[in-house]
Amino acid sequence: MEWYSNTAVAPAYMDVANSNWLWISATPVVLMVLLQAGLFLRRAWKNGQEMGLSDDQLRSGLKTGVISAIGPAIAVLAAMLALIATIGGPVAWMRLSVIGSVAFELPAAEIGISQLGYGFGDDGITETAFATSVWTMTLGGIGWLLVVAVGTPHMEKARERIVGGRDTLLPIVTSGAMLGAFAYFVSGEITSGAPETGSAAVGGLVMLALLKLADERDVQWIREWALGSAMAVGLVVGMVVHAAAGGGW
Amino acid sequence: MSPSDSSESVYESNFIPYINRWGRITSLLAVAFSFGPALTLLAIFDIVPPAGAIVGGFLSVAVTFGLIWFIEPISYYPVLGIPGTYMAFLSGNISNLRLPCAAAAQESADVDAGTPQGSIISTIAIAGSIFVNITILTVGVFALVPVFEALPEFGRNALESYLVPAIFGAIFAQFGRDYPKVAAVGLCIALAMTLLMEFGLLAFLPGVPLYAVIFVSVFGTIYAAKVMWENDMIEPDS
Repeated sequence: MEWYSNTAVAPAYMDVANSNWLWISATPVVLMVLLQAGLFLRRAWKNGQEMGLSDDQLRSGLKTGVISAIGPAIAVLAAMLALIATIGGPVAWMRLSVIGSVAFELPAAEIGISQLGYGFGDDGITETAFATSVWTMTLGGIGWLLVVAVGTPHMEKARERIVGGRDTLLPIVTSGAMLGAFAYFVSGEITSGAPETGSAAVGGLVMLALLKLADERDVQWIREWALGSAMAVGLVVGMVVHAAAGGGW
Repeated sequence: MSPSDSSESVYESNFIPYINRWGRITSLLAVAFSFGPALTLLAIFDIVPPAGAIVGGFLSVAVTFGLIWFIEPISYYPVLGIPGTYMAFLSGNISNLRLPCAAAAQESADVDAGTPQGSIISTIAIAGSIFVNITILTVGVFALVPVFEALPEFGRNALESYLVPAIFGAIFAQFGRDYPKVAAVGLCIALAMTLLMEFGLLAFLPGVPLYAVIFVSVFGTIYAAKVMWENDMIEPDS
């Protein structure tokens, strides 16, 4: 795809995607996440004291949670850049604050615009295609919330019934589903052209190398930064391949 | 009544009912509020996507992730506990953020995972991690959007075009690491289906046949993984 040609103006949908109205509309659901965390925290503190946990233990738990979150939360920002570049700030902010993982949001956004025949990076993506992405992410994301909202009190029984002695099969089905889904997304990139193929291949290789390194040395922060690093290297490779060889096929 | 009996009963008859009640209420309200941006595009900007596109988009996502909606909560539940399940699935980032925070907090507060005390501490730790996470995302998005908008055109286009394939490749590699044979089979299936679609050989199907490509890729790969597992060709995840 010729990303530099005929792109004197930014995609028109970005004005809508970064508008004040979208910031306002994205805020209530983020506040709901904070409200839930606040309610649970207050109650756990109170009941924890009644259960004989000391104030020191409670404080230490909170402090550790806060400190441990800083590194991974900053690492998530790197992935957020990809969403800001494709669906704008407000929706990126909301989708990563709620349910939020790049592994779901980005594919869902891509599926959304591809319903109207586009891929991210194409010229002339319309506001309608952007809106289809937003609808697709919204409808797809509520699946987890509904299962959790309705199912959590019954999870113990459901688990026994579904897993029932086949504990080792469950991670294999999950991995099979994720691998099948991401094989599909990678295939879409491979058929888009040489720069996309290079970016996907190198992104994968960097990820493998960093995770291997993190395991061997047992260093957690390498694991946290693996995706961000893979993105950065993949981006550069995509640009270099494009400059050297053009769009490819 | 011994102290452990009374803490067990505070946990079971006081804490958990409160969590189930408010967990459900907040999750369902979040479902409703999550429609905010989509409805704003509709009501304020008059952007009405074709119904077929929304249905097609939803079906494709449901085929891709529908099984995972159920499998993930069931898989993580034993480690997250009841309060952790509500919080982690509302706020996301489970394996990279919530689980490490909860485990580290239980370690530092010297409580055992799987006990009522352990669950209280992990609730507190996950709540703390959510405040930090959302604060950093909020500061980050306000910092990053102007940076992105100030980039020259080719820079923005490069970000739009080449970050996404790198992420797809990286996540595929991350899952493929544990099951390389399944990954290889999955990629062959998905690539073959994508090429069939590109060359118009799926045109006999109604609508945009993306859903068929995704369906065959996802369930074909799951089936291949299951067959390999039954024939002891893959090691179960430890």
